[in-house]
Amino acid sequence: MLPFLKIMLRNLILGPSTDPFPYAPAKTHENFRGCAVFDPEKCILCGICRHVCAPGAIQIRASEDGSGMQYLLWHNSCVFCGMCAHYCPTGALTMSTNWHLVHTGVEMFSNCISGFIPFGECAQCGAKIQPRPQAIIDKLGVRSPERFLLCPKCKRESIVRNVAQVRHPRQENP
Amino acid sequence: MLQFLSRLAPRSPWIYRLNAGSCNGCDVEMATTALIPRYDVERLGCKYCGSPRHADVVLISGPLTLRVRDKVLRVYDEIPHPKVTVAVGVCPVSGGCFRDGYSVGSDIDHYIPLDVIVPGCPPRPQAIMEGVLKAVEVWRARLEEGLCSHS
Repeated sequence: MLPFLKIMLRNLILGPSTDPFPYAPAKTHENFRGCAVFDPEKCILCGICRHVCAPGAIQIRASEDGSGMQYLLWHNSCVFCGMCAHYCPTGALTMSTNWHLVHTGVEMFSNCISGFIPFGECAQCGAKIQPRPQAIIDKLGVRSPERFLLCPKCKRESIVRNVAQVRHPRQENP
Repeated sequence: MLQFLSRLAPRSPWIYRLNAGSCNGCDVEMATTALIPRYDVERLGCKYCGSPRHADVVLISGPLTLRVRDKVLRVYDEIPHPKVTVAVGVCPVSGGCFRDGYSVGSDIDHYIPLDVIVPGCPPRPQAIMEGVLKAVEVWRARLEEGLCSHS
């Protein structure tokens, strides 16, 4: 009898179900995928994020003086799928829980992540190579740390020299 | 009298939803913003209206496909000045996943000036509420200045 009494009591105890958002901060789940965050220190310019980005929100352009690349991620194209963060080998791209992206139409073309990533230098000849931050050295460069910092040409020479030394050790030290 | 009304009007903006070829994700979120007690945009004085002639704030979703372009523009022209346009989702502003599709023409801001942009695919209801509040600020400024958004 009178089943609404139970509901009424429960509602009185639990309080209003409305989220007091504009007057108080909204609750955001810790796994919520908001806008992407970019760390230019870790980026190795592999371009996998641009490759997997479905709406094409990521652009990587060569800078005018040729000393690096300009990295652009447009929040107004990003669909928060998180594929870039999933495939990023160094963790330079991560998804934050920030969803406060509302802006006026005037700011349409400034609502992006813009970062400049300078090229790395070959440890031997000084040629421009992809940057080698510590994050990728720890991941890929553990097998041959000194060779990992070389440009492709110096790397090939180093490998050939190594092979020659292994196969013909007498010729190296007459 | 008009000034008095302009001062009172921003307390209760009437919202009109305009679907410009959207995938319905943003429309579901807009319905959620209004209908579910948890978000309840009506406690901010907003009200969804069915006729474009009563609207103050327009929520546009979708990349403005070629099929609906003329119809959307016709409905948009029926909304009285000063109107404020809110782009819900990334589709109106950039095309999102549908950019360069065969059925999507140029960007929506070639036809309709976007005043407030709520990025997201879809944006969460709180973000839409944030956008509506921002649109009301724009609308208030426009009412005080007596400006038209589209002239």
